Order: sequence, then structure tokens, then C-alpha cells
Amino acid sequence: MSMDSSEAQVQAAGCPVGGDLLEATLTDPVVQARPNAFYQALRSQDPVHFDAKLGMYLVSRYEDLQTVLRDPLTFSVQKGYAEQYAKGFAAEFKEIVTRDGGGFFTDAIMSDPPYHTRIRKLMEKAFTAHRVKLLEPQITAIVSGMIERMADKGAGDGVKEFAVPMTIAIICAQLGLDHFDAQRIQRWSIAVTAQIGRMQTREQMLAHAKDICDLQNYLIARVREREAEPREDMISDLVHARIDDPEHPKLTFSEVVSSVRALLIAGNETTATALGNLLYIFATQPEMAARLYQYVDDDRMLNRFVEELLRLEPPVRGLSRMVTREVELGGKVLPAGAHLLLLYASANDDEQEFPCPRSFDANRGNLGRHLSFGAGIHRCVGLSLARMEIKVAAREFVRRLDHIKLAIAPEEITYLPTVATRSIERLPLTFARRA
Amino acid sequence: MGSLRVTFVQQDGVEKTVADAEAGASLMVVARTNGVEGIFGDCGGCCSCATCHVYVDPQWQERVGPADEVEISTLDMVSDLQRSNSRLSCQILLRPELDGVRVEVAPGE
Ligand code: HEM
Ligand code: FES
Repeated sequence: MSMDSSEAQVQAAGCPVGGDLLEATLTDPVVQARPNAFYQALRSQDPVHFDAKLGMYLVSRYEDLQTVLRDPLTFSVQKGYAEQYAKGFAAEFKEIVTRDGGGFFTDAIMSDPPYHTRIRKLMEKAFTAHRVKLLEPQITAIVSGMIERMADKGAGDGVKEFAVPMTIAIICAQLGLDHFDAQRIQRWSIAVTAQIGRMQTREQMLAHAKDICDLQNYLIARVREREAEPREDMISDLVHARIDDPEHPKLTFSEVVSSVRALLIAGNETTATALGNLLYIFATQPEMAARLYQYVDDDRMLNRFVEELLRLEPPVRGLSRMVTREVELGGKVLPAGAHLLLLYASANDDEQEFPCPRSFDANRGNLGRHLSFGAGIHRCVGLSLARMEIKVAAREFVRRLDHIKLAIAPEEITYLPTVATRSIERLPLTFARRA
Repeated sequence: MGSLRVTFVQQDGVEKTVADAEAGASLMVVARTNGVEGIFGDCGGCCSCATCHVYVDPQWQERVGPADEVEISTLDMVSDLQRSNSRLSCQILLRPELDGVRVEVAPGE
């Protein structure tokens, strides 16, 4: 499976930011939607580039990202995340959720060692590769059911009617949230993600804060239920988990709420985005769907297809760190307090690491070294679950549907306004049941 | 403190021998707690990151045993570095018959 994405070629040839790199900024929605030429310019001209409008250094080379990701004390997630969160409105945001949302729950997992290690240990056991393998039949049932319900309609929105409700149904089943309202959960996800997206206006922040209060009040009630009476679900596991630490043998209430929130939200937008990208490729490059159809019974090639999809179109574009002491990175001296945006998406495009980076090549020998899930101690805890969801979706989609086409012009596709992810907002499709 | 011996050969050729490893511990954890270079163990032993990749000394291969299906698919993500004696060290749990086991750290990130 190997091919050139025509869109990629256009992007590389017609650089949307021209030669004027220093004028371009990642806060520009045009750059956000078609970022690859910008990334390339960064890597070749100024690999640790200060984006003045964003107030952050953009780290763009694979090697420099690895340096940062492997040194969590010099490059702090906790400080970087806190600085990014609700930036511009942080005080007002905090006041609102404290008043109406049961409290301001800092993200326990967005922290530094040694504290991070304690939280992380409790989270990572939930989605080991072996556990996720056992979930495959259950995930397949959810996914096939959703596709079956769409199949005879001949048309539908690949993001709103498939990707988003599918990921929500799967994570809710794991957490033990039944009778959930998928649309509400999607609103919550967007509201939480927007806090690190850097693009919200004050009005939007107010609306998002209201949604986050609603989310927190909902989760607080679910956590209280499990405190009173444990069930067979992940929320109960977190509530009652014992940690090997005599001083803090259990998670605090706010740690539980923030961990459940992280698991519910972190995996939704991201996995749904990956599925949106998958369907976009099916719809615009029918030969990819045809090729994948040949592999529906070949687990190895399906896994490779998914991994290369994640490398080529990473859902998470960039997340933040803060420098805790003066340090040199990519030839530049950064002062303590410098705020960085790690461009995972650009690292995946680095020709030093991935030859012909814009071509889809599922036979790459170093497939798994992409940075779409990050690396180091913060490497995504949900990666096995995400891989499984995307694999099952890809397999069941091509198995059941054919003639998948975009129902709008490719230029009409819009992306969420955010520096943190690159997510298709809506994806109207037409398709037919496979004969 | 346990009493099992494990030897890691780093990419730079340096050999690190741990003499007090415990039965039940994974080789990845033993490597990390003893500062073996090149074993990161990003996913904490969840068999999903392949940053704990080792080559088992051929003399020990049979006793260590083969990778299962899930481990094989994670190893396939770094197929450029894969050899017939590749294993993910987080999936190798120490037991008395592995006393003395020897592995080479695979090149990594
Ligand atoms: C394709 C889907 C996904 C992508 C692209 C993705 C991406 C990422 C990335 C890049 C990080 C690293 C953050 C950093 O370096 O600061 C991360 C961390 C994390 N992800 Fe994911 N993720 C996905 C799915 C999921 C799922 C399904 C879950 C939950 C079930 C999840 C939960 C988390 C959590 C809790 C962290 C924080 C880990 C830590 O800081 O130790 N993610 N993810
Ligand atoms: S520690 Fe991640 S696969 Fe072994």
C-alpha cells in the first residue's frame, strides 16, 4: 500500500504562506487548515520559531521534539498546560467553574514527575494492548451496528453521524456511563478542548465554561454514585483504586473527577478526528478504500494502514510545555519560562525521519516511531484503544460500504479553529451498501 | 530485593549486570530502575509503545520463549529493527529459570 496524496503535492508546491515565514502564524485559520508547507518552512528555516502572535516557540523537528519529550523536568507539562489553559480568560473561567461547576479541577495527569507517575500508573493499566484486544468483539459490535443503521440511507455525515457517536459510545461503555447523550458529550469535548486551542473569543469562553460546568456536575454525580456503591466499571476502579503510597493511598475526589474527565474527553475528539480523516481519504481517494478492502482479513496490514494514517494525518497537531531553566534547543537558547508548542504533526512530516513524508506508505519500517501519540512519560494512555477503534472502523466500513464519495466540494471542508488539533468539522458523504 | 541476575548490553557496548532482580518483575522495569540506557518503557509495560525492545541472547531464547500475537503486532511497528530474537522487555517476567538471562538493547528513538 503506497501512494502519493495529491493534496499533499499541491500543498508542497503551492506553499500557502509563501516565503514569508516570519509573517505567518499558526493562529491563522488558513495555515491551520493547510499546515504542511508552513511546517516544512519552519523545519528548514527556523526549527524553533517564535510565533509572536501565539506567544509560543513552535518546535518542528523530529529530533528536537524527542529531546523535549525525553526530558520532562526541563520541559514541564504542568506549567505549559496551565499557561495554555483558557489563556486570556483564565481568571474569569476559573471563577465560573468554581461557582457553577463544583470546583476548578486541575488536570491531575497534566503534571510532572513524581506526582504524574502516581496518577499515570492508575490510568495506564486500563487500556493495555492485551486488554484492548479482548474488547475487539464488543467494539466491532458497536461499530457494525452504527454502520448498519446508516448503510441503506445512502448518505450521512461521516463525522457527526459516525465518528463522533462511535467514539463516545465506546469510551462510555468502558467508563460505565450508560444512558448518555452523545450530542451533549460532544459539546463538552469541544468545550474542554477549546481551552487549549487558543482561538476562543470571550463569548465562546463563556459558552464553553457553561458546558464544562454541566460536564463536571454530571461527572461529580457519577463519581458520588460509585463512592456510595461500586460497580463493575472504570469509574469505580478509579474511585476505589489503592496506590502504593502510604501517605496518599487513594486518589482524592478532585483527582478522580479530573481523571474521569480526561479519559472521557481526551479520547473523543482525537479518535473521532482520526476516523474523520480516514473517511475523507476513502471519499477522495477511492483506490485507498479498494486497497484496504483487499486487506479486511489481514490484521497485520490493517494495523499498518492505521498507523500510517495516524502518521500522515495526526489528529493532535501540537501541545504545550514550559521551559523550567535556560536551555538550548535546536540551536536556540530558550529562557526559563519560555512557552513551547510541540508540533507532533510537523515531526511526522520530517523527511530526516520519514522519507517522502507526504506519501502514504504502510510498509514503512519505522511506522511506529511517529509522534501522533507523543512520546516519553506522557505518551498517550489510550493509544491501544484508539488504534483498535480506527482499525475496526476501517475494516467494517469497507466491508459493508462502497462508492463512498464526498457530498460537498473538498474546498468546503472546514476545520475546527484551534492550534491543538486538526479536525474536520463536518463530512457529508454518499455511499452504497457493498454488493 | 531479589536474587536473580540479568545482563543488559547497551547500544554503546556497555554491559550492565543487575544481581538482585526480583521474580515477577519485568525486564523493562529492572532495566529502568537500574539506569540501563535505551530502555524507555513509555507505556509503562502495556505492550503498546515498543520503546523497551531487546534482542534476547540466542542461548536464552528458548527459555525466554516467543512473543504472543499482541506483542508481535507491536513489534511490527518497528519492523526495521526487528530480528528473529526480538522481544519487548516489558513482556518478559523474571522467574527462577531466567536467572542469568542476557539481552541486548535494540537501537531506539
Ligand atoms: C487517535 C486518537 C488519539 C490521539 C491522536 C491521541 C494523542 C495524544 C497525545 C499526542 C498525547 C500526549 C500529550 C503530551 O505529549 O503532552 C496524549 C496523551 C493522553 N491521551 Fe491520547 N490520543 C488519542 C486517543 C486517546 C484515547 C482513546 C484516550 C483515553 C481512553 C486518550 C487519553 C489520553 C490521556 C489520559 C493522555 C495523558 C497522558 C499523560 O500525560 O501521561 N487518548 N494523547
Ligand atoms: S514498555 Fe511499552 S511496549 Fe514495553
